[in-house]
Amino acid sequence: MAPIVSIVDVYKEYSLGKTLVPALRGVSLDVVAGEFISIAGPSGSGKTTLLNLIGCVDVATRGTVVVAGRNTAELSERELTSLRLNTIGFIFQSFNLVPVLSVFQNVEFPLLLQRKLSAPERRKRVMLLLEQVGIATHADHRPSELSGGQRQRVAVARALVGSPQLVLADEPTANLDSVTGEHIIDLMKELNERDGTTFIFSTHDARVMSHANAVIRLEDGQIVGREKPLGGAQAAGMH
Amino acid sequence: MRQLFLIAFRNLVTHRRRTLMLGGAIAGVTMLLVVLLGLLNGIRSTILESATTLMTGQVNVAGFFKVTAGQSAPVVTHYKKVLEVIRPQVPELDYVTERGRGWAKLVSDTGSLQVGVNGIDISNEPGFRRVVQVQQGSLDALTEPGTILLFQEQATRLGVRVGDVITLSSYTLRGAANTVDVKVAAIARNVGLLSMFNTYVPAVTLRALYALNEDSTGAMMLYLKDIRDVPKVEARLREVLPAAGFQLMDKDPRAFFQKFEVVNREGWTGQKLDVTNWQDEIAFVQWTLTAITWLSFVLIGILLTIIAVGIMNTLWIAIRERTREIGTLRAIGMQRMRVLAMFLVEALSLSLASALFGALLGLLVCALINAAHLHAPITVQLFLMREEVHLAVLPSALLGSVLLITGCTTAISLIPSFLAARLQPVTAMHQVG
Repeated sequence: MAPIVSIVDVYKEYSLGKTLVPALRGVSLDVVAGEFISIAGPSGSGKTTLLNLIGCVDVATRGTVVVAGRNTAELSERELTSLRLNTIGFIFQSFNLVPVLSVFQNVEFPLLLQRKLSAPERRKRVMLLLEQVGIATHADHRPSELSGGQRQRVAVARALVGSPQLVLADEPTANLDSVTGEHIIDLMKELNERDGTTFIFSTHDARVMSHANAVIRLEDGQIVGREKPLGGAQAAGMH
Repeated sequence: MRQLFLIAFRNLVTHRRRTLMLGGAIAGVTMLLVVLLGLLNGIRSTILESATTLMTGQVNVAGFFKVTAGQSAPVVTHYKKVLEVIRPQVPELDYVTERGRGWAKLVSDTGSLQVGVNGIDISNEPGFRRVVQVQQGSLDALTEPGTILLFQEQATRLGVRVGDVITLSSYTLRGAANTVDVKVAAIARNVGLLSMFNTYVPAVTLRALYALNEDSTGAMMLYLKDIRDVPKVEARLREVLPAAGFQLMDKDPRAFFQKFEVVNREGWTGQKLDVTNWQDEIAFVQWTLTAITWLSFVLIGILLTIIAVGIMNTLWIAIRERTREIGTLRAIGMQRMRVLAMFLVEALSLSLASALFGALLGLLVCALINAAHLHAPITVQLFLMREEVHLAVLPSALLGSVLLITGCTTAISLIPSFLAARLQPVTAMHQVG
């Protein structure tokens, strides 16, 4: 099966004044459609940088990043935005919902940008997603009226509403308590298994990692291992 | 687009205090602009109405008569022949009046004044009764020879009332001193600058003062059915009058009394006609309009600059506060142009609503000022061309003010909006604060 993400010998350096700080050093990775992958590693290991490159919100200094069959280095800013809109869903650590929009409007937003569905179709699609993430009763609430877990559910619904092939989640449980975090990961896993959407998420948390099909370990900007995660109980013990 | 308006509206409501401050400033500037334009238009319309009645027609055929090369008088001889040429050539004509022109000394028992003296046929001056508001006496009394219409200020300076007799003193075309006694028939309210140096006597009285025959006048004042035809008619007269054998002066866009020096320097003698329009004849008061217009625009410019800085700052703050939001929206697939549009819509909504409110407020202020009949000091009356402050707001000025302020403020907001759109999603998402 053709990988949905293919990264070959990717380097990413940030300039800090006159100093170049390497964030990724020769990373290569293939992710096949339908996988549920965790990227693990200590702070500063390059997890977020790797997700940013896969998510087409940043460009590599060297190397090739291919997402959904398209080499991101060859795409214009407009094409990258379009690729993000139609192919990738994002879930952020801090939820990043638009505060002045309601839950419904936040989830509807990507559909408005896509301009593929009519208003009744959009409404149906949004309500379906809100029901799937268990937040349909809060459709008219503002994000500020929701708990952290509820906000992240909204973020999950927003990430999935445009039917992306790939969902990227940067530490989606970091701002949640462990029980709520577990629920969010369970929800993501459920959507992955049911719809076949590929999920790549970064985390520190061994218990969260245990839900993944595979864990990519990053250290100092390099992949140091790709492994099957430990079982839930073992992971809980490690935690 | 609906979503962009929704975001804009809710952001404006969320930051209520900031919105009110900035909106208030925009509304204030718009209100000021509407009031200033109302004042300018009030003066302009007063000048147009007063001047084109009191001292000039819409198109004038006047001229100078020179007995010797160095001595000219504002006289048109054989004016009836000139009129015979004019009438068939100007189908746009509504009516025509003839006015004698002169410069004389008014002498009363207690004072004297140098003024312009106009010889009129009051029965043939339909616009006169509209503009001149008689306070004492009657305009009809001006049909009697040996009468005079004074304005309030002149009457006060001369210390006369209706019924008093004063003396007009001047020199005839041949240089002989002459006087005529006239009875004050009416005293009218001041009409700004125009009433400072204009008086009106029956045409026959003026002819008597200057020893002119009945076929002489000062100017033929043409009033057209549509004032927009003035340039066309003026140009046509400049062709037909020389073709009919009359000598014509070169175009000199100034009032007739400003031309004496130039005419006296020229070597010709006899009669030369001069075709002018109303704007030429009141060019000497146009500077007041120009000065007020410039002053207004400088003032509005300064205020707009302050507003511009305010808007820039406010949007900067908004963008800084919403950097993460911009990054998120860019990440989930919002194109740069839509980010730009999002901030522009916000600025446009605020500007348009504030400008509309300001314009309505300005309209209200103008109506209140007009209703209050504010009496202007005498020096201000010179510029206002009337005793009371009068503001005339045109719908086009109202609309123009709203569009100008909205356009400027929205254009200013392009800079921060453009920079917001240029933010890289990755930079914006990881921005702290």
